[in-house]
Amino acid sequence: MKLRGWKTLILLMVLTLFLAACSGGSSETGKGSDSPTGKNPASDRGNEVVIGLSSDPQSWDPIDTFLLDWSTVATSVFEGLVERSLDLELQPGLAESWEYLDDSTLEFKLRQGVVFHNGEPFNADAVKFTFDRLLGEEGQKGPQYSNYKSIKEVEVVDEFTVKMHLQSPDPVLLTKLAGYGAVIVPPKYVQEKGDDHFNNNPVGTGPFKMTEYKRDQQFVLEKNADYWKEGLPKLDKVTFKVIPESSTRLAELQTGKIDIMKRVEVAQAATVKQSDFLELKDVGTPTVFSLRFDTAQEPMDDVRVRQAINYAIDKDAIIKEILGGFGKPISTFQSDLSFGNNPDLKPYPYDPEKAKALLAEAGVAEGTTLEVFIPGNDGNFKEITQAVSFYLEEVGIKLNINSVDGTTLISDLIPKGDAGHMYRNGWGGWTLDYDNTAYLMYHEGEQWNPTFKDEKVEELLAAQRATVDQEEREAIFMELTTLLYELAPEVNLYQAVDLYAVNKRVENFQPPHEDRMRLEEVTVK
Amino acid sequence: MLAYVIRRLLHTILVVFVISLIIFFSVRLTGDPVSVMFSAGEPSKEAIAELRSNLGLDKPLAIQYGIFLKGLLTLDFGESFRSGMPVGTLIFERLWATIALALGGIFVAILIAFPVGILSAVKRGTGVDFFGRIFSLIGISFPNFWLGIMLILVFSVQLQWLPSSGFESIKHLILPSITLGMILSGILARLVRSSMLEVLNQQYISTAKSKGISEWSVIIKHGFRNALLPTVTFLGMQFGSLLGGTVIVEQVFSWPGIGRLIIDAINQRDYPVIQGGVIFLAIIMVVVNLLVDLSYSLIDPRIKAGRGSQ
Repeated sequence: MKLRGWKTLILLMVLTLFLAACSGGSSETGKGSDSPTGKNPASDRGNEVVIGLSSDPQSWDPIDTFLLDWSTVATSVFEGLVERSLDLELQPGLAESWEYLDDSTLEFKLRQGVVFHNGEPFNADAVKFTFDRLLGEEGQKGPQYSNYKSIKEVEVVDEFTVKMHLQSPDPVLLTKLAGYGAVIVPPKYVQEKGDDHFNNNPVGTGPFKMTEYKRDQQFVLEKNADYWKEGLPKLDKVTFKVIPESSTRLAELQTGKIDIMKRVEVAQAATVKQSDFLELKDVGTPTVFSLRFDTAQEPMDDVRVRQAINYAIDKDAIIKEILGGFGKPISTFQSDLSFGNNPDLKPYPYDPEKAKALLAEAGVAEGTTLEVFIPGNDGNFKEITQAVSFYLEEVGIKLNINSVDGTTLISDLIPKGDAGHMYRNGWGGWTLDYDNTAYLMYHEGEQWNPTFKDEKVEELLAAQRATVDQEEREAIFMELTTLLYELAPEVNLYQAVDLYAVNKRVENFQPPHEDRMRLEEVTVK
Repeated sequence: MLAYVIRRLLHTILVVFVISLIIFFSVRLTGDPVSVMFSAGEPSKEAIAELRSNLGLDKPLAIQYGIFLKGLLTLDFGESFRSGMPVGTLIFERLWATIALALGGIFVAILIAFPVGILSAVKRGTGVDFFGRIFSLIGISFPNFWLGIMLILVFSVQLQWLPSSGFESIKHLILPSITLGMILSGILARLVRSSMLEVLNQQYISTAKSKGISEWSVIIKHGFRNALLPTVTFLGMQFGSLLGGTVIVEQVFSWPGIGRLIIDAINQRDYPVIQGGVIFLAIIMVVVNLLVDLSYSLIDPRIKAGRGSQ
């Protein structure tokens, strides 16, 4: 029996080695050319593009959504009065022009001759219906309503003119009209078919119409032949497939089952680059990551300690080594795409000596232990935190890493101030205006700001909201960013870069900064 | 028999009630669905309070539970916070994919485990037995996540024989079924082997052999049929848990199953979907158990439902 036990073990080891050799072999060959002949496996698909996404937004109704994946698909189906281009410029959409009549009235001249996918005409009534619905009982049940509370109501002037009356000046209103809750929906269709039907069968004015929706599986968009932009879209069909696991998404791309892969992981970048028929595209996003301090806890209430930690960490090394260079340094909690970003501020330099001096000055004892909370499902950030822990150890601070359920962290621990001395803070800021970030991060008592407060910060935050004069707001933001840089309520780590992998048969695809894919100009070889 | 079935069904109601209590209160222990819903946008604290009240989450827990229970009685699980769709619809949309995968996994497991287990038992102590047991050990030890990705690399990327994701045709079912079946077959093969060994040592087997019936006929007709009982119990229980417990395989192969629905709902703290999904699985589990018990009397006529299986 004893002998047999040994035999089993040895055989098992041999088998394991064998399996390991098999798997090693397959990934090695995978690195080279993906198909043995070097032929593009998707070359005979026709005038169609297939895109792999990681999740299904579950609901297409614009007033119900809050997900980036919604905007990836819905940008092709729905349109707003204003359009935001891939280069983030605001330009006319369903409105040909607009004008502030006074501080609280905005007038839009609407585009004529536009029809919804179901044949319904687009006009002032559709605009009024959309905003009545968003601001009314239906909309208040969803997460979009709060974005548009500055609008009091929409008034129909004539068939192609509307006036938007505002409760209060809203400097970011126009960019908010370019997406999400403010896209225009067809009144008759929604009223006749009901919300549940609309949820699953969206109808808009966009370049493509949705012809099939299989929840959690795939969505099919077909060309809108009556689209108002001359000669667009160029593709006949776009299919989105929901493939949650990134290695499976990559496998589908390598075998030509999909043409564009969203959310490529840093570890997969090399495989994509080495393929003959794939191309890697990277694009900076508005999403930023920091380690936010809980300023109510000792010793984080001392600004010198907060600054010391900023000096102690080599952020450039983290971006280069852990993120493979796919990340950008930031000086405040916003990306360089954001209105209000201060180009004159440079991130805290890596200076451990200065950090030590500041800590000594603040009277922090060598070997002090700090608690950090991070979400357990973010492997990259776990590595980053380990690197941070190493850097802090160099200046005499021990970091105790608590890896917890991400949802609990965001929705429970952070709002209650139970997330240790510091925690991972990630933020998107889709309006690309620092107001969206700064107000919610530093205004006293906001959901995700349980403890930080500063009177001067409050004053500046209120001042920039009281005006629509962008130059004045920019000046306020420059002052605010300089102040927050000094106060250091967080260690700003990096701006996220999104990776897309694209089959070379696809042409004119420009990856979006903020997940909103534009497909009307895309063509195939 | 009928009285037994009725008693078991009443039993089910009790089980569902207890589970409804546990699930209702436990999902509310951590996390807040409203904060999660605002992952993009401008959630001021007023907006959050407003949405919470619109979803009925500001009512006292006892009242919320009452509403939930009232819905259960009419088989109305409520609407998803996230998609606004009725939870019943969400579950039934995925039911077919889930059952197909569970059956596929069990089919593969049977296909592998029965021959391996029977051969191991019959050729006990020989090289065949040795390999059989090694095989089942490996089956048990495989992380199914890794196995799934390996199968994709070999059969989808390299050989390009089979699709790697989606739920479209019978071909799409092959790789996920093998992944699931491999893991299951390890345990099943061991079970078949040990039950077979037990039966093969019985006197009636020797008697049958001495009557001159061919060896394989004895093994299958007399041995295997009697060894089937624990195996069926095991498979029945497995089928129940496979309906909700194949999340990892569903994730790797983009399979639209109930497991993924519930896991996504947990991450979003989508209370109605979590509650509805768990209650649904509990009901299935109890019903499958009942069916397994009833099937005993088919396999072994000596067992009478109501007495034998108590």
